[in-house]
Amino acid sequence: MAIDMSQFYQVFFEESEEHLAAMEALLLDLNVESPDMEQLNAIFRAAHSIKGSAGTFGFTDLAETTHILENLLDRIRKFELGLRPEMVDAFLGAGDLLRSMLEAHQGRGVVDPIAVEAISNRLRLLSSESGDSVQESAVMPGLQVETPSCRVFDIQFVPTEVSVEAGGVENLIEELRTLGQLEILNRPDGEPAGVGFWELRLTSPHGAERFNEQIDFVADNGAWRISEEQASAGDGETAFGFFHDNPGAPEEDPSYGFFAPVNVVDSPAQEDGEAYGFFDPLPAPATPAVAPSEESGSGIFAPVNVLPDSSSVYLEEGDGFGFFVPVTTINAAREPTVSEEGEGYGFFTPLPSVEAKPIVKSEEANKVTSKPVHASERQSVGIRNGPSAVSDSSIRVSVEKVDQLINLVGELVITQAMLIQTTSQMQDSVPERLVNGLAQLERNTRDLQESVMSIRMLPISFVFSRFPRVVRDLSAKLGKQVELKTLGETTELDKGLIERIADPLTHLIRNSLDHGIELPEKRIASGKSPVGTITLKAYHQGGNIVIEVGDDGAGLPRQKILAKAKERGLQVSEQMSDSEVFNLIFEAGFSTAEEVTDVSGRGVGMDVVRRNIQAMGGRVEIESMLGVGTRMTVRLPLTLAILDGMSIAVADQTYILPLSYVIESLQPEAGDIKTLSNQARVMRVRGEYLPVVVLHEVFNLRSGPVDFTQGIMVVLDADGAKAALFVDALLGQHQVVIKSLEANYRRVHGISGATIMGDGHVALILDVSAIAGMARTIMQKQAEG
Amino acid sequence: MELMTHTGVVGGEEEQIASEYLTFTLGSEEYAIDILKVQEIRGYEVPTLIANAPAFIKGVINLRGIIVPIVDLRIKFNLGKIEYTPFTVVVILNIAGRVIGVVVDSVSDVISLTGAQVRQAPDFSGSFDTKYILGLATVDGRMMIVTDIERLMTSADMELIDSATV
Repeated sequence: MAIDMSQFYQVFFEESEEHLAAMEALLLDLNVESPDMEQLNAIFRAAHSIKGSAGTFGFTDLAETTHILENLLDRIRKFELGLRPEMVDAFLGAGDLLRSMLEAHQGRGVVDPIAVEAISNRLRLLSSESGDSVQESAVMPGLQVETPSCRVFDIQFVPTEVSVEAGGVENLIEELRTLGQLEILNRPDGEPAGVGFWELRLTSPHGAERFNEQIDFVADNGAWRISEEQASAGDGETAFGFFHDNPGAPEEDPSYGFFAPVNVVDSPAQEDGEAYGFFDPLPAPATPAVAPSEESGSGIFAPVNVLPDSSSVYLEEGDGFGFFVPVTTINAAREPTVSEEGEGYGFFTPLPSVEAKPIVKSEEANKVTSKPVHASERQSVGIRNGPSAVSDSSIRVSVEKVDQLINLVGELVITQAMLIQTTSQMQDSVPERLVNGLAQLERNTRDLQESVMSIRMLPISFVFSRFPRVVRDLSAKLGKQVELKTLGETTELDKGLIERIADPLTHLIRNSLDHGIELPEKRIASGKSPVGTITLKAYHQGGNIVIEVGDDGAGLPRQKILAKAKERGLQVSEQMSDSEVFNLIFEAGFSTAEEVTDVSGRGVGMDVVRRNIQAMGGRVEIESMLGVGTRMTVRLPLTLAILDGMSIAVADQTYILPLSYVIESLQPEAGDIKTLSNQARVMRVRGEYLPVVVLHEVFNLRSGPVDFTQGIMVVLDADGAKAALFVDALLGQHQVVIKSLEANYRRVHGISGATIMGDGHVALILDVSAIAGMARTIMQKQAEG
Repeated sequence: MELMTHTGVVGGEEEQIASEYLTFTLGSEEYAIDILKVQEIRGYEVPTLIANAPAFIKGVINLRGIIVPIVDLRIKFNLGKIEYTPFTVVVILNIAGRVIGVVVDSVSDVISLTGAQVRQAPDFSGSFDTKYILGLATVDGRMMIVTDIERLMTSADMELIDSATV
């Protein structure tokens, strides 16, 4: 075992975090009264995957906690226990704890062992509760098919070294003891202790599916087997007790015909584990044929292997079902269509819910109109296969590699532009085929660039998905009833922005919850539904992404804000517009909350929100109506990497102006530009006097008097401060890839970055806020001087 | 590489380890810099001007997608004739995780120098502070100024890097 596991740690951490996030989302979505089987299974799978990989990597604390969690989940999904709200809370708590454990393993933070113990006990307590009462409340009928008779299993396995070190075998034995009577027939005594051939005999009323997963954990694929003692299952007829109603059941050893097709499916070995479970409810399920195929059986979570067949699976499904009922169908299925039958069979295997099958069976057996059942089954399978197919078709790539790809494509675009420029200079002497080839190259590179840029784009659901939890926890803490609605989760934006928008949005939502939504009594008193609504909405508008956080709460109290602002000595007046007043809440240290809670009210937060959003090149606006609600609108550029720019020429240089700041451009006429105290220049544009910034003066590119009629005035709006920028000419409009100037150089005042133009030259991107600021300082200086 | 014969000089262990240096000329002076700091050598292309930057910072160029500042050491140290021809050479340095281009008159050679061959330079004051000079070496009767290029380029005088003092 010379493999260095640590190289896989990062993957494990990432995956586990994703599993935790998925689990949390599912838990929050879960309907406690009638839990959806698929969701329960998905939660179980998430916990199971974490446990599996944690065990493999030797993170025993994680594996142990998940194990307890998984046990409880398993009992719930088997309807041995009913789901209760406190269980969901315990699961969420456990999820948090697991997350902090993960972080601790990554060297961030520490885990509180008391909390671990507490949550473990809580989960154990919940799972140790009697399941009797629950059987009654179980939603699905036909569940009490578990055979009371004891079955004897021979379990043989060779555990892996890692799992032995992590105490996996001890856990397994303990686990098996809980299921029934366990005899250890053979215990290896080699070194390292426990690695070797184990043989156990288990007498248990439960089926093998109760423990074959656990064995799968400690042993490698193929290094374990479970066979059931042939106490009662001797002859084919008993084994196929299933068919005993059918007089026409075939005479020859039916197990062959039944199992052989399974091997036609991509990886039969993995399905066999399920195949076994499938027979579980039968009174005497095991057949001689089961045992040999079990030998190679390796696990339950094999739906992936079935996916390639999934399309045919739907088609064959009828056969698959038919298999169980009328004899004629059986025969038909067993003859030339053996492989289809196998697929029909395979159809069942991806369903981890063993429990679901007895229902189908019983309904079929009773000859109840079974079509609707089929239909719903088909749907649920279709749905299940959908998302798993999606997740399986994605790969994990580091952002660095993507960025490198983006850079390389940028290079390609520039090279291509250079080639086109060269051929255009050659004029008539260019062969036509070259021109055509280049035109195609241009199209291809443009498509390539778009696709590559889209790699970095992620749906905003990555951020939104964390808010249901925030709202749930916070509303419980504040005693408010709040419903969170999210719209437009598929809206895509740059990964860099996704990461940075999460904190500001969390602040806004907390703020809405704490200050916006009123307490239920107050809401009823003002004629509203006691349940408040917070709406999160994302959509594209122009070149921006807009994210709205709305609530139907009390709204912002204008008078209170004004009073508070006066108290703090801010310059305010009654004549200020609503939006100006509301913007006061973004001032540092400003809070109208009468008391400081641990949620909000300290007055930090909103100013940070605004600063963060501005740092991303976005802005935030507030609309509010007293008693009706508040809506915060965040506008962000689509990406940090690309910008819509206007290229301008000044002297012999080209600069890029971010288009979002440009209001208009106009050609000044002689006399349009006035001077203040013979120094500062202003220009009257639509009734407003705007300070004039002459770019070539600011950048010292040219000296001498300025002839304003020989250039263009671009009117800019930088965060409310308007200015007129005088340039020589407008060259065009481009999408430019932003490159950092600071990576190899340093910050330059008035420049926010650089980009590479089609001809391979560098063009600098103007920092409009700084330039508008320059205008102000020039004005001030000259006004003073 | 005729200079390899010099590497066997007696001295401390460290003194005997030869390192390779790239030599270039600025006016009539010859400079040697650690070759491991050199990324590549390329021809001069007109850089994009940076407003209000000191004169010796010629601007920035696009080096395969990276924005690289170009420093003309001839202007900085007031050496040589400042003209830009197709033969003007830019040495692209990789220093402290940054890529910086340096315009020099010409690149002459790659030489091996042992610690023993590098003599301490006398103190003098001038535009080129001695603190950036590791020492002087004589090769074939020519004097090489062995320069701590990293220290020079990251210094505040070069105005290439943002620092708390800037």
